[in-house]
Amino acid sequence: MNRRTYLTYVGGTAAAVGVAGCTGNGGDGSDGGDGGDGSDGSDSGSDGSDGSDGEELPEPETREEHLQRANLRLNQRAPWVYLNRQYSVYGIASRLEWDARRDERIEAQAISVAEGDPSVTITQSSMDSGLDPHDHRETPTDNIVIQAYDGVLGRNADGDVIDALATDYERLEEGRVRFEIRDGVTFHNGDALQPSDVAYSINRVVDENVGGIASPQRDQLAGVTGAEVVDGGVEVISDGINPTVFSQFASYCKVVQEDWIESRESSAINSDMNGTGPFRVVEYEQDVQVVYEAYEDYWDGTPEVEDLTIQAASESSTRVSELLAGETDLIVNVPPQEVSRVRDEDTTAVTAVPSTRVVFNAMRYDVEPFSSPEFRQAMNYAIDLDSIIENILQGFADATGQPTLEGFVGDNEDVSPYPQDVEEAERLVEESGHAGAEITLETPVGRYLRDVQIAQAVASQINELSNVSCDVEQRDFASLAGEVTSGELENFPHFYLLGWGNTTFDASQTIIPLLTSDGALSSYREDEEVDELMAESQNLPGGS
Amino acid sequence: MALGRFLLKRGIQGVLVVWGVVTAVFLLRFITPGNPVTFVAPLDASAELRAQIAAELGLDQPLYVQYAEYILGLLQGNMGFSYLRGTEASTVVFARVPATVELAVAATVVAVVIAIPLGVISATRRREPADYGATLFSLVGISTPNFWLGIMLILVLSVQFDLFPTSRRPIGFVETFAFLVTFENGISVPMDVGAFLDGLRTWLWHIALPAVTLGTYFTALITRLTRSGMIEELGQPYVRAARAKGLPESLIQYKHALQNTLIPIVTVLGLQLGTLIGGAVITESVFSWPGLGTLVINSINVRDWPLIQGSLIVIGTGFVLINIFVDALYAYLNPRVAR
Repeated sequence: MNRRTYLTYVGGTAAAVGVAGCTGNGGDGSDGGDGGDGSDGSDSGSDGSDGSDGEELPEPETREEHLQRANLRLNQRAPWVYLNRQYSVYGIASRLEWDARRDERIEAQAISVAEGDPSVTITQSSMDSGLDPHDHRETPTDNIVIQAYDGVLGRNADGDVIDALATDYERLEEGRVRFEIRDGVTFHNGDALQPSDVAYSINRVVDENVGGIASPQRDQLAGVTGAEVVDGGVEVISDGINPTVFSQFASYCKVVQEDWIESRESSAINSDMNGTGPFRVVEYEQDVQVVYEAYEDYWDGTPEVEDLTIQAASESSTRVSELLAGETDLIVNVPPQEVSRVRDEDTTAVTAVPSTRVVFNAMRYDVEPFSSPEFRQAMNYAIDLDSIIENILQGFADATGQPTLEGFVGDNEDVSPYPQDVEEAERLVEESGHAGAEITLETPVGRYLRDVQIAQAVASQINELSNVSCDVEQRDFASLAGEVTSGELENFPHFYLLGWGNTTFDASQTIIPLLTSDGALSSYREDEEVDELMAESQNLPGGS
Repeated sequence: MALGRFLLKRGIQGVLVVWGVVTAVFLLRFITPGNPVTFVAPLDASAELRAQIAAELGLDQPLYVQYAEYILGLLQGNMGFSYLRGTEASTVVFARVPATVELAVAATVVAVVIAIPLGVISATRRREPADYGATLFSLVGISTPNFWLGIMLILVLSVQFDLFPTSRRPIGFVETFAFLVTFENGISVPMDVGAFLDGLRTWLWHIALPAVTLGTYFTALITRLTRSGMIEELGQPYVRAARAKGLPESLIQYKHALQNTLIPIVTVLGLQLGTLIGGAVITESVFSWPGLGTLVINSINVRDWPLIQGSLIVIGTGFVLINIFVDALYAYLNPRVAR
């Protein structure tokens, strides 16, 4: 089904939104130029429900079609003001060659040293919260841990699932998958990897009675209930079909040695590492640095980088200065305004890659004026995304029109970002019955790339409408996040900026927590169609 | 005897102040929005996992139970465990103290070395170009925000001219002495003077810019204090008498007038040292200096209360001790204070 045919199935305001989104100038230009049917958008005035005026959409059959349908629906119902896909922007010494990964992880093993000393220093924004590979969720700790620990599966730079400690994997039956474990792999203490270590690692994440922790990664192996060794392989048991199980294992659950963990106190596990990864820890200074050396017996070949140091500088200007002074080789999160400084030097370069993080303005479905789909659509039409990306993010972002990012399982290629259309926005506001509304956009400060500036631009563009006014309230992320994670919708702000990283590359891990009625962080709990689509999708095979 | 009683009184007051700090900081966590579990658990964690983590951290207990447990722990030298790292808060906090103390002392030394001669020159050459220069310097120093100054020093002296490292503290001051006094299995090994000097040079090289950044405001303040103190002293009758007696001007200025000027300056230095220990947050951030300031900021951002409380207790205690020391010094110099 091509894009034009697909969209003709959608009627009413939904069609106006969808078609206008495709034909306007809000997109990234990737969707060609066959948008001449933009006039179809004039048949507004319906209640916005799918298919009310037009033909019925065909029933989705595969899992991917379910996810794509949910994305189309979410574009039309506009529970968010769709903003941008954030880029990961790195500064790197010119003597190194490295392809940045989409999932924000830095695997030093992938770094090539074109010239000079084969030692590399990486400076990120903060250090680890302990070295236990199962007792954290944040990226800075991940970047420190993944140098020494391998997972059962892994990902390449594009985010595709690849083999790691498992050489093969298959789905045996509903609720049971099997991993064949690689032979000849050793831990850094010299002991051989056993399938029982893999099973133990999985159980340590999902079962609070194993390994002495309630792992914060437990929800990332959602549906997995345990693992056992069967005929030399490891079989993972899930509750239900668990379509994203392989995707989950590609991003989470590093493999530890059972004996090593069981014989140590938590403080020892958090200050040393004994994995099967490409680098072995030589020195750990908490909050200061981790020094590694290449592990010569690494199963995938000795890394080119012989000595690796990971350190942190919370100030981006300090990281940039360190790179320019040659004191570090790779830095994270180069702010847009510093890019030219790094790019203009002969010895340094900038490398950027679309990340797995989407930035949006959530609108609570249960409070006025955001309870009106027309008003929410109007907010999307008010925004000039191209201008925000060009002027605030210096081009280091992609516009979005759905919760799922391009390249993810479930991304609907027929959905484009909303174009800016002030007249249409004003008309929709009138239609919603909320003309004269005064709204406040709450934004965290410094949590996401130029978050405050983006929020201010959004508010200023909304203020261009003659019948809505918008203020910005800057919030400490801790207090904003505390409200959003409280589970009680009445505690949520009415209109707020948030970012969401999804390293499983699967639409479900964004839509389910953020946009379904049971989602822990959902501001949109009224859409039975989305709920049903997502529930059905989780019982179909076809994860990433 | 009077001095002993005075110190005992000050000591008891100090304990009460620290207890007040502990209680105030403890209560702050209950009126500050943001739940620590937000940062320990993933954002999309289930309510069940959140509740489990809250129970593990003891956050499900009533306020008075948490407070009593905390105070009892403190009396046993236990500041609790970091929510995020799981390690003992006291270990993390005390590991940061040397870096902060070094920076505060180095900034004070920078201030004293520059400010006192500058203040004296300014006072003795009043309304001359040197005085105008020193006054301008102190005005600029007081007006310059130290985050800007730090970044500028890095850009010019580190990035452009490669004279200093941009940031970090690869070695501590005390650690450099390990090269001189090292024991292995109870037997001292030969001292390595070369390594000691290398270590000391590395330390000095790295602390220079942060110390100048942190000390600039202080330098300007002490310059002005020295200048005004000296001007006042030089107008005193005893100076006229000394001049009439035919004493050399340099002796009058440096031995008599400056010595008397130094008394209030020493007091300010002592008190300001306490402020520097608690107030080096921005400088530490700009230079990635691993001190208490950065620890407090990072811990506030993730609501790691045991680390916040531990750091503030250490800073508060340091401030109280410095105050007691300054009070004792006063009492010693002027016994009437102790009565």
